[in-house]
Amino acid sequence: MPIHDLGYRPWNGYRTAPLLRPIFVAKSGISLVWRRRWLRLMLMLSWIPIIFPAMGIFAFEYSSSDPEMKGFVTQLISGPMRRPDLAYVAMTDPDAARHEVWSTLILTFFRYPQLCAMVLLVGLIAPMLISYDLRSKAYLLYFSRPLRPMEYIAGKAAVLCFFLTATITFPALILYFLGILLSPSLSVVVDTWDIPLRIMAATLVLVIPTTSLALCYSSLTSESRYATISWFATWILGIVAYQILTFMRVLSGPGRGRRARALAETSIDFDRYRLLSPYHTLGKVESWCFGLDPTPGSVWPAFLVLLVITFGGIWIVRRRILARLSV
Amino acid sequence: MTGLLGPNGSGKSTLIKSLLGLVKTQQGRGSVLGIPWPEQDRAIRDLVGYLPEDDCYIAGLNGIESVAFMANLSGLPGTEGLRRAHEVCDFCDISEERYRPVESYSTGMRQKLKFAQALVHDPPFLILDEPTTGLDPNQREAMLSRIRTLSAKLGKSVLLSTHILHDVRSVCDQVIMLVDGSVKIIDTLDNLSRPSEPTIHLSLMGDPTDFIERLRNDGFSINQEIDGSLKVVGVHLDQTTQLWTAAAATDTRIRRMEPARNALEQIFFDAASKGKVK
Repeated sequence: MPIHDLGYRPWNGYRTAPLLRPIFVAKSGISLVWRRRWLRLMLMLSWIPIIFPAMGIFAFEYSSSDPEMKGFVTQLISGPMRRPDLAYVAMTDPDAARHEVWSTLILTFFRYPQLCAMVLLVGLIAPMLISYDLRSKAYLLYFSRPLRPMEYIAGKAAVLCFFLTATITFPALILYFLGILLSPSLSVVVDTWDIPLRIMAATLVLVIPTTSLALCYSSLTSESRYATISWFATWILGIVAYQILTFMRVLSGPGRGRRARALAETSIDFDRYRLLSPYHTLGKVESWCFGLDPTPGSVWPAFLVLLVITFGGIWIVRRRILARLSV
Repeated sequence: MTGLLGPNGSGKSTLIKSLLGLVKTQQGRGSVLGIPWPEQDRAIRDLVGYLPEDDCYIAGLNGIESVAFMANLSGLPGTEGLRRAHEVCDFCDISEERYRPVESYSTGMRQKLKFAQALVHDPPFLILDEPTTGLDPNQREAMLSRIRTLSAKLGKSVLLSTHILHDVRSVCDQVIMLVDGSVKIIDTLDNLSRPSEPTIHLSLMGDPTDFIERLRNDGFSINQEIDGSLKVVGVHLDQTTQLWTAAAATDTRIRRMEPARNALEQIFFDAASKGKVK
């Protein structure tokens, strides 16, 4: 028996409010995930792509005083960013183009490297969040405390939100502030003040439905590997289906040269099959958040699909938990 | 301290889950610790320490983290929760194992861990569903001793759901017996153990035939048990002289004489079989 063992002592101290208790679910989940070395490494690596848009913003801001830089920026905007119209405005009136150039660079950062990092990260973290609790029957321990199913779900979702914010929002905000610091004048703030707000809006659009979908998959099975497979299959199959259906016309068209394909691409209805792919559905709404939606279709169908995924996912998770408790 | 007894499928765990608000009830009202049930199940859960029957744990945490986490979920602030978790682990005899991941725990260790988790927020009411399952005899006695301490010295109410009648007999004051979802028996253990008529239980040496004959002639009703012992019905403790006299007259040696008590096992089997017949 330890010498400090005082036997059982009553406890009558201060208790935190029941509404704050989901925070402990989130805190415990974050600390469990944070112990994984590969995850810390992945988070560090996911910040590396910030360099490229930061260099783009730096080049754009210095292009007004450096003719060589101007040529580089024009090539960048009309080439990899596929915006020859914007390149022209950037060359003739940089102040008028600033907001759009910054937004495009940050959106590109959001859409490509960070979205891929997000899919990978969520695919590795989320499946174990609820499925492990189902397998080890930990839900009995959680719900023996004054915790409601929705609070449990909120706590688990907060784990994902924390890591997604660390992977996507923080780097994007840092990119914005880095852009301001790299600019020759702080007056750029006047032109771009709304970009952090757009980043926050795009974060919400990205994080809420993906978290809901990932938790839903995790709650459907006590074997986390099946949830992982389903998660990646959803994204990969969606992208493949969208690409095949959208570009089938280009590939089967009569023209073989690049020009013929480019001509065919201009007549493609990009919105027609968008809802098949979560990646492109999210892209549509994110572009809308940044005011850069390039396609003519309405954003509302995509928005509606994300809403259905969000509420449908939460409903399924809640049902699954209640079903387990009643056994 | 109340023992909740009943055969498998009688509804013990369902009753417990209903009390905690984990299972929705279609009808019925009541109160737990003065809190209206089922309206305020969340407030009830705040005041109840529940030890589930199932083998359950939070994967990835070690023992002390598990207990501290439960403390936090019950509203104990971070550091205070950890301090309290260590204190309760000491009480539950979880020593250095508290730093090991719970996945590596034996069944008995997990049982002790669940007990610590149920106790960590110092609830006034403990619901223990099969708390001694998987414990070796020494640990079982230690666990029952802890439960007794909590009930007798610290004034905690305990609802002990178990199949092990010995556990009920050794720690409980009252018994509730459920069969097919309804209460068949609810009484104190003393009342249940007392026979309907005063009876004396005798163990004899040698052939009891003459002794039985003599007592029957004296007007007593006698039941002979399978082990050879006798139950003499209708004899008060102050009337034992007649028994000694009969033994002396028939040259019978009495090894043991005590007031007869109903066996809990028999009460359990009777209630369960009546429920089945019904």
